[in-house]
Amino acid sequence: MDWDKLVQLLVSGLTLGSVYALVALGFSLVYGILKLLNLAHGDVLMVGAFLGWGILGWLGGAQDPSVAVWLLIVLMILGAMAGCGFLGVAIERFAYRPLRRAPRIAPLISALGVSFFIQNSVLLLFGANFRSYETFDLVDVEVGISWGPLNVWIIRLIVMGSAFLMMAGLWLLVTRSKLGKAMRATSFDREAAAMMGVDVDRVIVKTFFIGSALAGAAGVLVGLVFGQINHFMGFNYGLKGFTAAVVGGIGSIPGAMLGGLLIGLAEALSVGYIEDFTRGRLGSAFSDLIVFLILVIFMLLRPQGIFGKPDLKKV
Amino acid sequence: MRKGFIAAALAVAACAVVATVAVAKPAGPASPAQLASCTNVSLAFLGPLTGPAAFLGQEQISWLRFGVQKYNRANGTRFAVTEGDTQLKAPVARTVARRLVSNRKVMAVIGGSESQAVRVSGNLFEKAKLVSISGSATAIDLTKGRPFTTFFRVVPNDGVQGPDIVAYVSRTLRADNVVIVDSQDDYSVPLASSVARGLSARGVDVSRESVSADDTDFSSVVANVGNDVDIVIFATQVAPAANTMSNQLREQGKKAIVFGTDGAYSPSQFKPNSGYVSVFAPDLHFDRSARAIVRAYGRFVKKDTSGAFGPATYMAGWVAMTAITKACANGSATRAEVVQRTKGTNVPSIIGDNIRFDAKGDLRGGGEFVIYRITNGKYAPVG
Repeated sequence: MDWDKLVQLLVSGLTLGSVYALVALGFSLVYGILKLLNLAHGDVLMVGAFLGWGILGWLGGAQDPSVAVWLLIVLMILGAMAGCGFLGVAIERFAYRPLRRAPRIAPLISALGVSFFIQNSVLLLFGANFRSYETFDLVDVEVGISWGPLNVWIIRLIVMGSAFLMMAGLWLLVTRSKLGKAMRATSFDREAAAMMGVDVDRVIVKTFFIGSALAGAAGVLVGLVFGQINHFMGFNYGLKGFTAAVVGGIGSIPGAMLGGLLIGLAEALSVGYIEDFTRGRLGSAFSDLIVFLILVIFMLLRPQGIFGKPDLKKV
Repeated sequence: MRKGFIAAALAVAACAVVATVAVAKPAGPASPAQLASCTNVSLAFLGPLTGPAAFLGQEQISWLRFGVQKYNRANGTRFAVTEGDTQLKAPVARTVARRLVSNRKVMAVIGGSESQAVRVSGNLFEKAKLVSISGSATAIDLTKGRPFTTFFRVVPNDGVQGPDIVAYVSRTLRADNVVIVDSQDDYSVPLASSVARGLSARGVDVSRESVSADDTDFSSVVANVGNDVDIVIFATQVAPAANTMSNQLREQGKKAIVFGTDGAYSPSQFKPNSGYVSVFAPDLHFDRSARAIVRAYGRFVKKDTSGAFGPATYMAGWVAMTAITKACANGSATRAEVVQRTKGTNVPSIIGDNIRFDAKGDLRGGGEFVIYRITNGKYAPVG
C-alpha cells in the first residue's frame, strides 16, 4: 500500500469535496425552501470566480499585490460573496418569483435559461480565453505543510479551512438565529409560516442571497487552488454539487456537507485506484463513472439521500 | 396626393420584387459546382472561437484576417472571412460545416483547426467539392487512405510528431520513466498512444493517465505520478491545463516536468519553471527572417503577441486565396476548380519550405515539428 499516495489523494479529495459541499449547500438551501432546482447555481459559482479574479487584478495582481496576501484573499472571497449574493437575489426576483405558482417544470426551464444567459454574458464581457489567478505566483507551491514525502500547499489548507468555517457559520445561522428559524418554518410549510407572521418573500430572498454567496466563495476557492477559470466552468461544479446534494439528502444542510466531501473523496480516490481495482481495464478517465454510479446507487436504494427524509404524504 | 404617393411606392416595391426574382439565383443549398462571381468571395474559418481552446482559435482567425488584408492589398482582391465556431465540440463542428457548405460565398474553408472537426466535416466538404485547408489538424488518419479528397494541411501530421517526441525524450532527455496523459479526445489519444508505443519500444518505462478536456484539477492524477518519473507528456489542446499540471507536480514535490504538445504552446499561459513543448509550426518571434511580418502583425492587432498557431493558419489562408485567384482567372470559378488549383499549390511559406501537397493532401516531404524548452517561463527552440 502506497500510503503517501493515499494521503495525497485524501488531501485532493477533501479540497474538491469542500468546494462541492459549498455548492451543494446552495442547492439544498433553495430546494429546502422553494422545492426548486436552481440549475443556474453553478454559473453563479463561475461569476464568483470572475469577481475574485477582477478584485485580484484591481489590487495589483498575483505578482505584485498592493495589500497583504491574506487580506487580498479575504477581500476576494468577501467581494465575490457580496456580488454573487446580489446576483442570486436578482435571479430570484426576475426568473423565479414570477413563476412561483406555475407548474414545477416552468421554473426549471427558467433556471436553464438563466444558466445560459449568465454563461454567455460572461463570455461576452470577458471573452473565451481561460483566465488565470496565477496563485502559484501569489503563494509559492512549496509554502505549506511538509511531512515526510507529503506536501500540502497552504492554499489547499485555506480552501478547506474557509469552506469548513462557512459551513459551520451556516449551520449556526440555520439552527440558532431568528432568520434560521424562519427559514426552517418556511421550508416546513410556506403557507403556515406566512400565517404565523413570517415574511416568506424576505426569507426566500435572504436564502437566495446566502446560497449564492456560498457559491461565489466556492468560485474564488476554485480559482485560488486550481489557478484557472473560464466561462463554462460552472456546469461541472454545478453538476457535482447537485450530485453531492442528492447523495447527502437534498434540503439537508449536514447532508450537503457530507455529500460534498463524499463525492470529492470518491472522485479523487477513483482517479488514484480505479486502474488497480479493475486490473488495468479502466483508467483514470473513468473516475466520473464512479461518482455518478454512487448517485445512481443512492437513487435506487435510498432516494432521499443520507440525511434526507422520505417525502410522506397524508392520504 | 397621398393616394398617389402610396401608389407610386407600391409600384416601386413591385418593380423591386420582380427585379430581385429575375436576378436572384434559385433558393436552397448551393450546388456543389456553384459558380462564384469572384468579386464576393469568403474564406470560412472553422475552429474553436469559444470554449477551452478559444485562445488557439482566436489567434488563428486573427492571423487569417491579417493574411486576407495583406493579400487583398497586394492583389486588389476583396476576400472576406466568415466565422465558424466549433467550440472544440465535434457535433457543433458538423452543424457549422453544414452552414458553411450552404453559404454560396464560401469558396474555401480554413480548418478545421482540430482533428475531430475535420473528421466530422470532411465528408460534407467533399460532397460539396469545397476545399478545406487546416493549419493545425495533425491526426494521421485525416489523410491516411485519403478519406477526404478535398482536405489539405499546411502542417506536418502526428506521424512526424510522435517519433520526434519519442526521439527527443529518449535520446536527448534520456528519460527512463515517463507518464503519458491524454485528454480523452480524437487528437490526444492517438498521439499519446503513438508516443507510448515508441517509448516502450525504446525501453522506456511508460504508464498512461487520462483527464477530461474540461478538467481544472489534476492533483489526483499527479498523485499517481511516482517520485521516480522523469517526464509527464501531456497531449492537450489547453495550455492553462498544462500549466496547472506542472504546478501541481511541484506542489506534491514530484521531480517530473511537463512535456506539452501543440495546444500547450502558449508563452502567456503555460510558463513552468522547467518544461518542454512540441508544436507543429515555429513561433515566428524566434525567427529573425520573419521580423517584418511579426511587426506587421503586431500593428494589425495593435499589441505584441507570441504564438505558433496563427502563422500556419495565415499560410492556409494564403494557399486558399492563391488557388481561388487562379481559378477565377476567367472571371468565375467553381468550388471544384479551387480544389484542383489547391492540389497544384506551390507557394513560399513564412513557416518553412515552400508549401506543396502530396497526393494525400499532406505537406510534400512531411514537414517537421519544433520543440521548445521552457525555463522560468521563457521559451527557446531546441529541436
